[in-house]
Amino acid sequence: MHKKLLILLLLVSILVTGCATATTQAPAATSIPPTPQTIILTSAPQTIIETVISEVVVTATPAPNPEAVIQGVEADAEIGFWTFWLSPTFDQYIKDTIARFNQAYPGVTVNWEDHQATFQDDLKASFAAGNAPDVINLSVSEGWVSDYASQGLLLSLDELVPQSVKDLYFPGLWNEQLIDGVNYQFPWYQGINVYLINHQLYDQTGLTIDDFPKNWTELPALCATIKEKTGTLCDIRLTVNDLISQMVYEGNVKPISDDGTSFTFDSAEAVAWLQQYVDMVTAGTVDKTVLVTDQDRVGLDLFTSGQAAFYATGPNLIREVRANNPGLYGYLGVVPAPVGKSGVIGKGLMSLSINAQTEYPNASIALAQFFTNPRSMLEFSKIVSIYPSTPDSYADPFFSAAPVAIEDSAKPFAEDAISKYADIVPTIPHKADVNAILLRYVQDALFNNVPAQQALTDAVAEANLLLP
Amino acid sequence: MMKRAIGKDEHTRAVLQQTVQNIGLYIILTCVAIITVFPFLWVFFTSFKGPTDAIYSVPPQLIPHEPTFANYIRVWNFLPVGRFFINSIVVTMSVVVLNTLFTSLAAYPLAKMKFKGSNTIFYLLLVTYIIPSALTAIPSYILAVRVFHYYDHIQAAILPYLATVFNIFLLRQAYKGVPDDLIDAGHVDGANEFRIWWNIVIPIIRPSLATVAIITFVEQWNNFFWPSLVLPTMTNKTLQVGLVALQGAFVSDARGTAAGVVMTVVPMIIFFLLLQKQFIRGLTGAVKG
Amino acid sequence: MSKKFSLTPYLFLTPALVVVAIFVLYPIFAVLYYSFTDYSIVTPPVWVGMKNYSWLIHDPIFWKSLGHSFIYLLVTPILIVLSVILAIVVNRKLPGIHAFRALFFIPVISGSIAVGIAWRLMLDRNGIINALLLSVGILKEPMQWLAEPSLTLPFCMALTIWLGVGYYMMIFLAGMQNIPEELYDSAMLDGCNSWQKHWFITISGLRPQITFVAVISSLAALQVFNEVFTITGGLGGLLQSAYTVVFYLWQQAFRLSHAGKASAIAMVLLLITLAFSMINIRLLERGTEAD
Repeated sequence: MHKKLLILLLLVSILVTGCATATTQAPAATSIPPTPQTIILTSAPQTIIETVISEVVVTATPAPNPEAVIQGVEADAEIGFWTFWLSPTFDQYIKDTIARFNQAYPGVTVNWEDHQATFQDDLKASFAAGNAPDVINLSVSEGWVSDYASQGLLLSLDELVPQSVKDLYFPGLWNEQLIDGVNYQFPWYQGINVYLINHQLYDQTGLTIDDFPKNWTELPALCATIKEKTGTLCDIRLTVNDLISQMVYEGNVKPISDDGTSFTFDSAEAVAWLQQYVDMVTAGTVDKTVLVTDQDRVGLDLFTSGQAAFYATGPNLIREVRANNPGLYGYLGVVPAPVGKSGVIGKGLMSLSINAQTEYPNASIALAQFFTNPRSMLEFSKIVSIYPSTPDSYADPFFSAAPVAIEDSAKPFAEDAISKYADIVPTIPHKADVNAILLRYVQDALFNNVPAQQALTDAVAEANLLLP
Repeated sequence: MMKRAIGKDEHTRAVLQQTVQNIGLYIILTCVAIITVFPFLWVFFTSFKGPTDAIYSVPPQLIPHEPTFANYIRVWNFLPVGRFFINSIVVTMSVVVLNTLFTSLAAYPLAKMKFKGSNTIFYLLLVTYIIPSALTAIPSYILAVRVFHYYDHIQAAILPYLATVFNIFLLRQAYKGVPDDLIDAGHVDGANEFRIWWNIVIPIIRPSLATVAIITFVEQWNNFFWPSLVLPTMTNKTLQVGLVALQGAFVSDARGTAAGVVMTVVPMIIFFLLLQKQFIRGLTGAVKG
Repeated sequence: MSKKFSLTPYLFLTPALVVVAIFVLYPIFAVLYYSFTDYSIVTPPVWVGMKNYSWLIHDPIFWKSLGHSFIYLLVTPILIVLSVILAIVVNRKLPGIHAFRALFFIPVISGSIAVGIAWRLMLDRNGIINALLLSVGILKEPMQWLAEPSLTLPFCMALTIWLGVGYYMMIFLAGMQNIPEELYDSAMLDGCNSWQKHWFITISGLRPQITFVAVISSLAALQVFNEVFTITGGLGGLLQSAYTVVFYLWQQAFRLSHAGKASAIAMVLLLITLAFSMINIRLLERGTEAD
């Protein structure tokens, strides 16, 4: 008798706890940030900034809010907003900006969530479930915008956004990740491509900061020197999810024929590009795991742990380095990233796109535009080393002030650099699959002694099968 | 049993031979033990090394010079390790209890009752037995996201495992060993089937129930593939999935990763050591000699 | 005994059958259907007939994965041999033997994920394996063990063996308790030496256990995922050196959003496990007949 009751009790209690935890497990509308990182550094840049700049003043106008530039925002709209890896550091900024948004567009409820390592998985699942967010923070540099846009999941913006609003952005940034000439994203915060230097290791080579390569083709020689003098390997990453893009920027390769009937990434330029990496692998001067990892964090963490002489990233991630390895911060140097053969120094970093199935297109466009307007981005720039996508922001004295901390070292040339950003990769049909094919053959060339030309020719042959 | 009479010399020789054999065995055992334990030892010591204690040095230095708990604190603060444990416990216990219940219910008529369709059902179950779990992942995922809407909820990790065909067959074998007389006696007393099952039969097959429970427990505790697909939010992850997330978060931080591994493994080891006998009996009871 | 229709058997069966119907039966049909479609899960499926299967036949990576899964079967005989030997060694009343037995069981308890991560740490360029090999002089400079394509699959297999030995040792140990002492004693009279005696008698006596272990181990080897995932960090190894059928299935479905192709792979996997399970049932039947 006792046993029966006990087992029944156990059953019931398990079920109850299971259900209770299940209901409390429901993802909240606002993000539940994971337990925060131990050291969050925002203090140093902030203090410096406060003494140098004067506040941006928006001249008060009586009637409409000057930031409310989108018409026809739906009444009582409720929109979902997902950001990528911004919590918990920037919680306050996001909340403040949403509050300001509500002053310009009262009556719109914004449900904000931040997703991190599982961002893509969560987004795909939410699209599949039919409850994807209305405004989505997508990475332009990783090619996410064209991925989702080509599946018809994003709203095309050219028709719906007034020209006066479009003109607020750098033209090179507005026209990024186009699908058949149509744009699907509001350019958001930008990075400057720099190389972080670990002076502890770099100085052992006997070179100075000025000796750091200005061109991408000079890197292999540097890596050989680094291996010889310090025994460490180069921390270089192939963007394995978008090799075509990397080929274009670094190697000035033309990936597809003008009429779109055949792929052309087996040209002499492409072979030269691939050969450079093959040579580095053969010489044993690069970390093979980092070379083909699909996580930027792997390469960043290798640098942060003090095991690499340099790493290609943006000044905004210096805060990560400082948080995870305070001892390294004092040895950091920053140089502009070496330019690839294409001569184009970079492309956009982050953007905000709209879900094609949104019930509130105007409200969603309003939110995306609000976060990417000059004032919002200026305020964001003041708390972390990212840069606005709007020329007007740079008029603020904040950008002409002399840089103090190492995170600010890109500030003086930021506007110039970003104005030159351009998306020089043509629309590639079945881009994800083509990149997957290319990755396989590139690995063959890198690790399996297949000659670069043959690998690329075979890759083109297989990729061409995907074309009609 | 005939025993030859053995002389004193032969006896001494036999004892010596036995001792040498024993020493040899102990050497083998120790070697195997070292191979078994070495990774754990190294991870354990690495987790206590501070930033100044080199993880990598030639020759290697195993014991930390200045042991510290800093890595554990860092990992504990960064990831909800406690939640990982709770989620795993909830999932595992729910599945163990409900699965054992459902399968012990289902196996009984298949073993002891005659009814229409019993053969069909038996062969149907036999067919499903061969379905690899990876195959069911895609439709299960779609069910979780689109139909039942429990994606990112803990039920997603529980519901698909509430009945496994292996357990049904195992218990069916166990039931077959129960003498029919006892069941008939219950019928004569006028008890209904459920009471007979609960009061008479279940106590008899208790060892097999324990086997099922323990096999299911170990399976669920170590399950990774499915929970990794349906539990994306950090606070919803089970232990194994959380461990992989931990490794992703501390990818070049060997000390942090080591601390995370130790934190997740040690409780299970302690739990096992306390319940050794039951564990081993349960897991090996699946195979009848 | 009355033969009236009773609802009871069906009531007993219902909970389990509902679960099996939803989570095992329905998926078979769903996957069969999806295997004939182009499906990204995010957008509705589009019928494409045999396209996925013809792609599969011409896909070198699929054949590579299949080959790796079959190579992985090698762990089974290795596991059986090692576990039997170990069981024989620990099957005696020596002091401290229980401690050894428990120790060998710990890898099983720790789980493949935790152990896989630990191994990955050890095999890192800055890991203990390099440190040891360098100090002994076998290596001149640290190797990136996990970036060697020819070593990735063997490492995964070694991990599986390392994880499984303790478990199977226990199974054989339990089985050995059932071998009658007389068999050993009569062999001693016949004058066989120790190893011959153990070999013949023990192996014959353990036949049901060996069959059982062979079956579950080989089925697990064909469907291995955890070891590959942890050792290669979710990437499958350089040059797809550790791709297995289930890993490729997972990658196609949940990384590349090609659920249609993944379903085709799943159907092939089904055929393979079907074949193995038929062997399973055949052997079990033969085993029980012999009893």
